[in-house]
Amino acid sequence: MSETAKISGFQRFVMRNPIIQFFKFIILSLKVLIIVAGGHGGTRG
Amino acid sequence: MSKIVVLGAGISGHVAASHLRRKLGKEHEVVVVSPNSNYQWIPSNIWVGIGRMKSQQILFPLKPLYKKKNIGFIQAKAMSFHPEGDATETKPYVMVEYVTGSEKGKQEKVSYDYLINGTGPKLNFEATEGLKPGTNKAYSVCTYTHADEAWGGLKALIEEMKNGKKAKILIGTGHAKATCQGAAFEYILNVEQELRRHKVRDMAEITWISNEYQLGDFGMDGMLLSYGKKSMESNEMLEMIFKDRGIKWILGAGVTKIEDGEAHYENLEGEYKSEKYDFAMLIPSFSGHGFKAYDKNQEEITEKLFKGFMIVDADYTAKPYEEWSVKDWPETYQNPSYPNIFAPGIAFAPPHSISKPRKSTNGTEIFPAPPRTGMPSGITAKIVADNIIDSIKGNKTSLKHKGSMGNMGAACIASAGYGTFSGSGVSITTYPIVPDYEKYPDTHGRQLGKTFGEIGLAGHWLKLALHYAFIYKAKMKPFWWLIPE
Repeated sequence: MSETAKISGFQRFVMRNPIIQFFKFIILSLKVLIIVAGGHGGTRG
Repeated sequence: MSKIVVLGAGISGHVAASHLRRKLGKEHEVVVVSPNSNYQWIPSNIWVGIGRMKSQQILFPLKPLYKKKNIGFIQAKAMSFHPEGDATETKPYVMVEYVTGSEKGKQEKVSYDYLINGTGPKLNFEATEGLKPGTNKAYSVCTYTHADEAWGGLKALIEEMKNGKKAKILIGTGHAKATCQGAAFEYILNVEQELRRHKVRDMAEITWISNEYQLGDFGMDGMLLSYGKKSMESNEMLEMIFKDRGIKWILGAGVTKIEDGEAHYENLEGEYKSEKYDFAMLIPSFSGHGFKAYDKNQEEITEKLFKGFMIVDADYTAKPYEEWSVKDWPETYQNPSYPNIFAPGIAFAPPHSISKPRKSTNGTEIFPAPPRTGMPSGITAKIVADNIIDSIKGNKTSLKHKGSMGNMGAACIASAGYGTFSGSGVSITTYPIVPDYEKYPDTHGRQLGKTFGEIGLAGHWLKLALHYAFIYKAKMKPFWWLIPE
């Protein structure tokens, strides 16, 4: 098994910074909306 | 005129009833039968369980809403199914028993033209000896009353820790075949953050216990995620998060018995072990409700309707894991014997698990059952409602709306701590929910890009936004239908 990744200081800063996270929130909302509202259907052809 | 009876007022039952009412004329009757007087937004229970939300914030009474929207409401529990009627009732019906008021205990036949079974799971605490919410220092967050109790227990423990007590906290699954690891995952991260907020984190040892073979399995066989500019296995992501939060883990554990402050379990290596705790939150196994069904001559036909949960258009043929296919999963949630009966959400019997089945060296099955969270529950309920609406309007059976969990995306916006600026969330989306190894053979059956993970404050805001959006939608306020399931 590969060595466990660690959350670096910079990553932690990004995760907690409200300004960066505000833009992430917009992007995340759109991505989730696209995936969830992006349709569904059968699998049996 | 058609009469549609919806059993259950959880996510799938309520979504189905709402859409039916909106799209069908007043000449058609929509009736909801539920033993619960309130609608609850279950995903926010974890915040009730850490005292950051009151249970009143995640629920509202159903009766006034249904009255306003012209949806019939019977506060009763389903007892038995009679899809052919009987000697005195020509129409199919469900026998229900009132659970409150002067009519409590009274049984009544509720006839229907279409039946939607949205009864969800039975929280099968009895399957694990000693696992009863609020006893043996073990709690649940499966309902708002359970979550209230959990907060009571946690709050008392935090006070003791403030007075110097060293505590052990155990959170995860309470049965070898339990599912809903996501809720336990959210709760453990929220508890960890609350302990930090109360400045007692260093007094607690927090341990994750789960029937998963690996961290991040979530009953979905794990997933390969896009994380930033790289790809990462879900087990690697969770290991990273748990190590960052100082959370220990026990995997492949089938909890068998709970005693006061002690959980006994068997692991995949066949060892029988136990873990002591001062506070535990363990998700029970889910089961069907044990309903019986009868034909018009009162002969039992339960096997035509139920296989634990309700039988739908899935392929239930027993076959080895290697031969499982995404095509086994249902598309319309229609019962094959009685085409006017449907079971969306958690009420349908899955054809098999999603995670690879595993046995301990003693032969005990220890692996997660397939999860069916709010999002697929809502989507499948809308599919069922749309097919019934088309069938009624077109005066012939229509099944054009399809939605297999093998061709459907889901988002798990897992709270990792509450707070406007101190909060955090682990946002994971998966497409499809059931891996399709034919379509995506190189990425563990899922489409990278649509299957991604994000960690940070934005996830908390999104979870909070979804809380308010879905309660708004459930209250059927103006333009509620514009909010997707």
